[in-house]
Amino acid sequence: MPSTILSAVRTPLATALSGVAANVFSYVPEQIPAPAVVVVPDSPYMEFETIGKSTFRCKLNYTITCCVAYNSNPASLDNIEQLITSVVAVIPAGYDVQVVDRPTVTQVGASNLLVADIRVSTWYTQTA
Amino acid sequence: MATTVITGRDLTLTIATTAYDAQTTSVTLVNSPTIDVYQTLDGKAYKHTDDQWTLNVELLADWGAVSSLFEAMWSAADSAPNTTLAVSLTAVTGAVFTCNVLPVFPTIGGAAPGAQTDTWALTVVGTPADTFS
Repeated sequence: MPSTILSAVRTPLATALSGVAANVFSYVPEQIPAPAVVVVPDSPYMEFETIGKSTFRCKLNYTITCCVAYNSNPASLDNIEQLITSVVAVIPAGYDVQVVDRPTVTQVGASNLLVADIRVSTWYTQTA
Repeated sequence: MATTVITGRDLTLTIATTAYDAQTTSVTLVNSPTIDVYQTLDGKAYKHTDDQWTLNVELLADWGAVSSLFEAMWSAADSAPNTTLAVSLTAVTGAVFTCNVLPVFPTIGGAAPGAQTDTWALTVVGTPADTFS
């Protein structure tokens, strides 16, 4: 059975991030318990940069979305900065870590979250 | 006649029998002809006197990988810089070009934060052979 992006990329990335002090998801969960780190496909999601078509290969773009509770502005900003710092530190080799978008306040259900996206890319080759 | 389009996905590249597709983002086999121009009483006259082909390959670096292509090219350039490597470049099924190139030392490093890449300009010894079918 060929490898899947879930098994070869998203789950290993979520596993690598599991050491940070937050709930980690390799997909977008129905509810987000803060603090949380969520691996979300970015746009464009897949880029085909190499020649040939005999094997499925692509560059995958993700945002690693960091979420903390938004209660007090100074504390929340400090919390998300610390979460971003800890996430960037454990991103595995082979990932192009690009930028962190500015934090924004997002309402999820009844709670407000301070959210920032870390943009990363990696390369995937389907193996048998 | 219907429009025909072939793309980079139709390309395949082997150097020294090793497939380079997985690391190659661009490959071109380019001729640089030498054409002498003479000014005659009847106007300009042209004489094609020479051809120098170059295989240009843009790659994602793979230092440290199992069966690393960069390490293989480095070893070839280090141990046998004057020994040619056989190349097969398929433009599309039915159009295959073969030639022999001299190895080069890959560049080490790159710019943050992107992937480490390199461009090889491999000198072709002789003239590429074509196989059209």
